[in-house]
Amino acid sequence: MKRFLSLILSLALILSLCAAAQADDLPTITIMFHGSNVSDDAAVLEKVNEYIADKVGAKLEVIWGTWGDFDEKATNALATGDSEVDMLFTCSWSADEFNTYAKNGFFEPLDEYMDQFGADLKAALPEALIQAATVEGPDGEKHIYAVNGFKDTATQNTWDINVTLLGELGYTVEDVQKLGFYGWGEIFAKAKEVKGDSFYPFLIEPAVAERMVTNSIIITGDSGSVNLLSYYLDPADVTKADAKYGDVILNKFATDEFAAFTKQMREYYLAGYIDPALAVAETSNDTRSNAQKTGSYLIGTQSYAYGYEYSAEVLSRGIEVQFLPCTDPYVDTTVSQGAMVAVSSASQHPEESFKFLALLNSDPALMTLLNYGVEGVHYTLDDDGLVVFTDARASYSPWTNGMGNVTLLPDTQAEGKGFREAFKAYYASGKAVPILGYIFNNEPVSNEMAALTNVAAQYSLALCSGAVDPETELPKFLKALDDAGMAAYLAEANAQLDAYLAEANAQLDAFLGR
Amino acid sequence: MSTLAGKKKIRPSTASLNRFGPGAQAGFHLALGLFALLCIIPFVFVVIISFTSEDSIRQIGYSFQPLGWSLQAYRYTFQLGDQLWRSYLNSFLITAVGTALSVLMCFLYAYPLFRKDYGHRSFFNFLSFFTMIFGGGLVPTFVICKSVLGLSDNYAALIVPMLFSPFHVIVMRTFFQTSVPMELIEASRIDGSGEYGTLFRIVFPIVTPGIATIALLVALGYWNEWFLSLLYINKNMDIIPLQYLLMRMQRNADFLAKNSAMLGADAARAAAQLPSQTLKMALVVFIVVPIACAYPFFQRYVVAGLTVGSVKG
Repeated sequence: MKRFLSLILSLALILSLCAAAQADDLPTITIMFHGSNVSDDAAVLEKVNEYIADKVGAKLEVIWGTWGDFDEKATNALATGDSEVDMLFTCSWSADEFNTYAKNGFFEPLDEYMDQFGADLKAALPEALIQAATVEGPDGEKHIYAVNGFKDTATQNTWDINVTLLGELGYTVEDVQKLGFYGWGEIFAKAKEVKGDSFYPFLIEPAVAERMVTNSIIITGDSGSVNLLSYYLDPADVTKADAKYGDVILNKFATDEFAAFTKQMREYYLAGYIDPALAVAETSNDTRSNAQKTGSYLIGTQSYAYGYEYSAEVLSRGIEVQFLPCTDPYVDTTVSQGAMVAVSSASQHPEESFKFLALLNSDPALMTLLNYGVEGVHYTLDDDGLVVFTDARASYSPWTNGMGNVTLLPDTQAEGKGFREAFKAYYASGKAVPILGYIFNNEPVSNEMAALTNVAAQYSLALCSGAVDPETELPKFLKALDDAGMAAYLAEANAQLDAYLAEANAQLDAFLGR
Repeated sequence: MSTLAGKKKIRPSTASLNRFGPGAQAGFHLALGLFALLCIIPFVFVVIISFTSEDSIRQIGYSFQPLGWSLQAYRYTFQLGDQLWRSYLNSFLITAVGTALSVLMCFLYAYPLFRKDYGHRSFFNFLSFFTMIFGGGLVPTFVICKSVLGLSDNYAALIVPMLFSPFHVIVMRTFFQTSVPMELIEASRIDGSGEYGTLFRIVFPIVTPGIATIALLVALGYWNEWFLSLLYINKNMDIIPLQYLLMRMQRNADFLAKNSAMLGADAARAAAQLPSQTLKMALVVFIVVPIACAYPFFQRYVVAGLTVGSVKG
């Protein structure tokens, strides 16, 4: 036993020494990605390091963060000033709030580097994306705090329609569109009749469905886990606010639209059109993805990305699927800060880090290598020059959209030739919502937000999925929100919005020379 | 005759002092049986789910009587291949080394605290007890472990942070106090035993039940630990234990569920790559079986530990 112990201990010692002794002439820069599924990166990193040695003057190491672990790891690395992590993924939609970190000085301002080394990068990215990554820092000034990824840069929520089943029932997609959310009862009833009692035709993500029906958008900076605020768009023209309310942020749950939506959902729920499992946070997503996988639904909700109908997940459902958009694709603050990479202020090699990011986001060879792997190992090219993935891809699947400029990637066989060009054109057409760039700084009302989030977590999902009766529960919910300080929260959000719009208008006036 | 009758009278009454009536007996059996069932049913359920076919779960969810059986999950776990077995081995290695070192430290720290003739007792008592009430918090702990101690991407990172537990020291010290009389130590000194001889030849055999109890607690702790891997293992995924492998799957699924509205199509794409429900349950079986097998071996000592204490009292 003693011999065994000493063997193990000395082994551990040797291992840790080996890790420490990896010094080389070139500095090592480390990047932490989100959502990866990578178990073997040796071949890729070898090629990457060969490629960037001269261009960047550094060696790359990657921490392949997974969906579940990234937030914790990133927070830790930033909070502890871990100099081992030079660059990390950041965004504005999950716990890793880009704007908060930038404001608190966790990120390195990149303006100078951008001027010095960023010519290619500027050429490769739309100006709007660089703007979206330019936010307030600890000094109160605006700086570029991240290299923004060029991906699906507009939001478009769609109804995900099982056209095969719809045809069997004797309806068309046009009927679905014409009848609208409030008139689908008859189609659902027919589906229930044909497919039996255990079939649930309406497969929704309740919170998304609410936004789709009421044409409201997410306010960046609002509570992340349960949105509390709404801003209503004009569905016919997403560059305008809804005429009824104007440029104002509303309590999501206190509008007539919300009341009407929950009332209709309750009706659908009671009629058995919605799976009760969707109303439970823990089972909601599993249930939804299972039903989607097997095509056992009639109408669902789907946040859409261009080309999604040709993706393997949709094709493998074994049904014909069509995505019916609610509005034109629109650009809001949240989506414009959807996937970025920032340089940690604890980094000892910010210059090399930026050079690497600039190269990654402007050089197709490097982006393809890091994203799709090594040609001949992880993918091969067919006769048309389209990418066909091999089995080795299973051990090397980074999150494509989390890495940066995906428009540099070659087309894959599944997507078809010309896909990336069409993709770029599609998102270039995305229209800016009136409050693009507005970021709600929730710091002055963070106590209220915490209390309100707790209240909303209790009611919101159940109401939006129709599991409880809005007649009795909605008033209780609104009362609880008021008690938790909704008025103060809302007032702060609107005061900030007014200030933001005034400043934006002043800038516009100055620009137009008025 | 009268004496006989007297005896007859007395016998049932003394017996009834020590024995419960059949009704009460049945009641106890029933209650304890129910309790045992409550403990065992979830595990049986997990095993059943791990053998359930995916189709059945899709159609009727988890059930004790699935529509179809399947070995798919286990087949898939075996296809995980290297990663699975390496993680399994890591779990055993970390638990074995960690438990041995931790128990040794606990034993050696608690012993002087129990010796009334040790001058700095109260100081060292305070030193360990203080950390029990005032922890350093996550961030300082992380900085110390990673930057100062170099616990990052190595086995040590998964063992060292959990080596010392003030709670275990207190349990151990109390155990010393209740089961080792000072006279014994004095006697052995008179008989010419040195400090180490007294500790390992005289005291150690007496406190084996206590050590076994601590060892069980520590081993469970190490076996179930996954958070350390999350914190300290960034690049070297070859050394992660099985628990973390499972937790990672679970956390991925949770994250996607929470953020699916924000991630949109990406979430659907990622969810398609996630392992199935049955696979998760199969991994739970892999995790539970070894530790369940270890229990009976420790049980003897744990029961002995309980009775040793009560006899003295």
